[in-house]
Amino acid sequence: MPIEGHVIVRRMQKVTPTDVIVVAPLNPKYILLEIAHGLNVTSARADELLQRRAGDELAKGDIIAGPVGLFQRVIRAPHSGLVRIVGEGKVLFEISSPLFELQAGMEGTITNIIPERGAIIETRGALIQGVWGNGNITYGVMQPVSNNLNQELLAEQINIGFRGAILAAGYCSNPNVLEIAATIPIKGLVLGSISSDVLPTAKSMNYPILVIDGFGTKPMNTAAEEILVANKDRNVALNAQVYDPFSGKYPEIIISQPNQPEPNLPIESEPLTSGKRVIIVNGSQSPQIGTIDLIHSRKKILSSGIKARAAEVTYGNEKRATIPLSNVEILKE
Amino acid sequence: MDTTTVSAKSLITLDIGNTITRALFFDVVSGRYRFLASASAPTTAAAPLFDVTEGAWRAIEELQNITSRTFFSEKEGMIIPSTQDNQGVDVMVATMSAGNPISVVTVGLLDNVSLLNARHLAQTTYADVIAKISLNDQLTSTERINLLTEKRPDLIIIAGGTDKGASKALLSIIESIGLSSFLLDDGLRPHILYTGNEELQEEMKKGLAKISKLHIAPNILPVLGKENIYPAQNELNEIYKDVRKRQTGGIREVLSWTEGNFTSTASALGRVIRFLSEKYEPEKGVMGVDIGSYATVLAAASSGEETLRVFPNLGVGAGSTGVLENSSLEEITRWLPFHIPEQDVRDYINNKSAYPSSLPTESDQLEIEIALAKQALRIAVEKTIPSLHKRPSAFRSLMPPIEPFIGSGRILTNAPTRAQSLSILLDGLQPTGVTTLALDQNGILPGLGAASEINPLLTVQVIESNTFLNLGTIIAPIGYARPGTPILRIRVNREDGRTFTREIKSGSLTILPIELGEKVSLHLRPLHRFDVGMGGPGKSGKVNAVGGSLGIIIDTRGRPLPFSLDPEKNWKRNDTWIKTLLKYE
Repeated sequence: MPIEGHVIVRRMQKVTPTDVIVVAPLNPKYILLEIAHGLNVTSARADELLQRRAGDELAKGDIIAGPVGLFQRVIRAPHSGLVRIVGEGKVLFEISSPLFELQAGMEGTITNIIPERGAIIETRGALIQGVWGNGNITYGVMQPVSNNLNQELLAEQINIGFRGAILAAGYCSNPNVLEIAATIPIKGLVLGSISSDVLPTAKSMNYPILVIDGFGTKPMNTAAEEILVANKDRNVALNAQVYDPFSGKYPEIIISQPNQPEPNLPIESEPLTSGKRVIIVNGSQSPQIGTIDLIHSRKKILSSGIKARAAEVTYGNEKRATIPLSNVEILKE
Repeated sequence: MDTTTVSAKSLITLDIGNTITRALFFDVVSGRYRFLASASAPTTAAAPLFDVTEGAWRAIEELQNITSRTFFSEKEGMIIPSTQDNQGVDVMVATMSAGNPISVVTVGLLDNVSLLNARHLAQTTYADVIAKISLNDQLTSTERINLLTEKRPDLIIIAGGTDKGASKALLSIIESIGLSSFLLDDGLRPHILYTGNEELQEEMKKGLAKISKLHIAPNILPVLGKENIYPAQNELNEIYKDVRKRQTGGIREVLSWTEGNFTSTASALGRVIRFLSEKYEPEKGVMGVDIGSYATVLAAASSGEETLRVFPNLGVGAGSTGVLENSSLEEITRWLPFHIPEQDVRDYINNKSAYPSSLPTESDQLEIEIALAKQALRIAVEKTIPSLHKRPSAFRSLMPPIEPFIGSGRILTNAPTRAQSLSILLDGLQPTGVTTLALDQNGILPGLGAASEINPLLTVQVIESNTFLNLGTIIAPIGYARPGTPILRIRVNREDGRTFTREIKSGSLTILPIELGEKVSLHLRPLHRFDVGMGGPGKSGKVNAVGGSLGIIIDTRGRPLPFSLDPEKNWKRNDTWIKTLLKYE
């Protein structure tokens, strides 16, 4: 949480996706009450007439200052809330607002508490990170539209059977499809790619939409496809947060599998070498998955004319291409 | 000055960009400082490492391989200063542009005076102005407090009030700032940079120093109509450093290597451009442009005055969607030399933003990136031009005469042909008069700017060593005539006595085949009252010029560059122009 709150879980506690981790007034609102002006006295006199101190909790209508004058004028709390600062004839008052409840969003175990802010949850399972999200979050049963996520999501594929489910599909190039999905309603949507023209509609949908590979009309990469198809009908946590690599915010899908044996932690940084399985990002071969056969020791001239460090990558059905090293990412398995 | 007379010190400059971290090595060769080697590695400021040192290590490791000199050891880390057996380096400096822009709220009295000054100050670094507060906004104190607690900016810039001017109104806004800062946790409290009425400085200290990170700089508007941003820029740079230290892993280590000689890349670019303007013709001015992955930076200096503008989210990588947000798709595709379906252009831009370090593998992808670069530069130039005109001019919407222009950024240096690099600069900047377009082919400008603080001799000597590639001398007359009308007669006198003349027509791009480095004398005689920078419309004159890698280019295409409503015509024309430039490559 970006602000102080109350952490209500404890270390080593097992949590489900809907368990609340921390509660806090996420966006408190304030009112600056001009006591001196309201009581028609000087600031010094207003301070003398104050009946409350910083930290006092008040109900709506409670007297803050006064009475004064012939008509026994008083200043009352306009809402229930908390006195934050008093002095110089003024009171800064925080209005009570419903507490925001931050849910776990996944199954797992609390491994650490971040005092007044949150907790660290550890889980076993699969993590798929994407490149675009529309800012919404959900948790639910994931259902691929078919066993083959290389095709366009069409309106006629979306039926009542998907009500309340998180759909997975190849790509979307028609904004109407997203609107039809909203009427079912589906709980969330995972796509391999999305046509840029559809982005304004995707942003406006109130269910989470996550794009794994990029923009256009390309099929989903086969590694993500395999995971999603293999986990059909399982509960997944879908966090379609807006992509911001500098703060580590990736839109992501977490598929918890707590009964799986503990895997090795992935290596944070590893060099590109021959034999590595990679995904090709951007360009005409994306999002193909392939293997590095050879890394050229010297720069190669690409079809665009640019000179760059490059590798020979075999992908698909034994196709081979020279791909710049900056266009491949190591696939972590 | 010969460097043997001073204590020579080797230097590494580290530039931590959004996608690439570049390490450059400078040392003394034959008594003079030289740029010796450059190496780069992907920046590691973002996920999964969140630590810039990993990228820095890799770049320095590559520098070791290139130079066969050891700069660090596993045991000791960076070897600073260098040892007697020539290991390590004496000094390191660093510049940085990586990371999200710092969020800023500007505060002033009036929208078009103090708020504008505060915005200009914010634009000298990688900042995003997320809100503004002024007397014009009609907000109550309560609304201002709620705005600030909700936005939680990294920095609040307060400007307003000429010295001995209005003060009471500003103080009422300051109260809201103080209260909102008090409400935030220590770690979330913003930096506050006060640059207003100097008589209020004590009041500021009294009211804000205890509850915020208060910085005070000289008034940026000491008298009405005279903006003086430069002193506050230094303070802003210190704040930038502090915010980066808090937000980005590894900065503390970089600061320890550099002993604090760490600055924003934009600030360093501004510094070196100021330095260059003093070396060249101070009256005419110099401009540096950096077309980066996330931001485009323009730095100009003339007669000791600097104009620095940073345009975050306006680049050819992570900032490419910003170009799309700031222009229509047609404004981008009008720069293409052939038709590419609009959908493909839009998808490529979004993909490039998601994968900013990826390279274009096909020629149509490269053309989209070149079009993006031209449009990003065009947007930045159009927004900066009003600040560049120091005197009244009939052509206030055009680029004033400046020489030289120096371009940097991967899109320029990686372009397969020099014709492409030149066309990006020529179309983006649209210079007027007689000028030179140069390329910072090794990306050394920011490093030299950072080094100039501690070793100005190095900066001078490296600049003197012809480190920038002269792309070409540009002659761009301004005026009005129908395309095809003769508007300029040129006589070229070569050093060996040979001469030739050319008549140039309106609406064309012509190359005079002068070899790189060849000096010539040009006699320019404009027709139809065209202004070729010889003192006014229709005035003739002589000018000395040097051939660039594309010779001397006469650009009579018009200013601003006109476009047809028919996209086909634009693509065809762009294709002709680039082919004209390529003929001489």
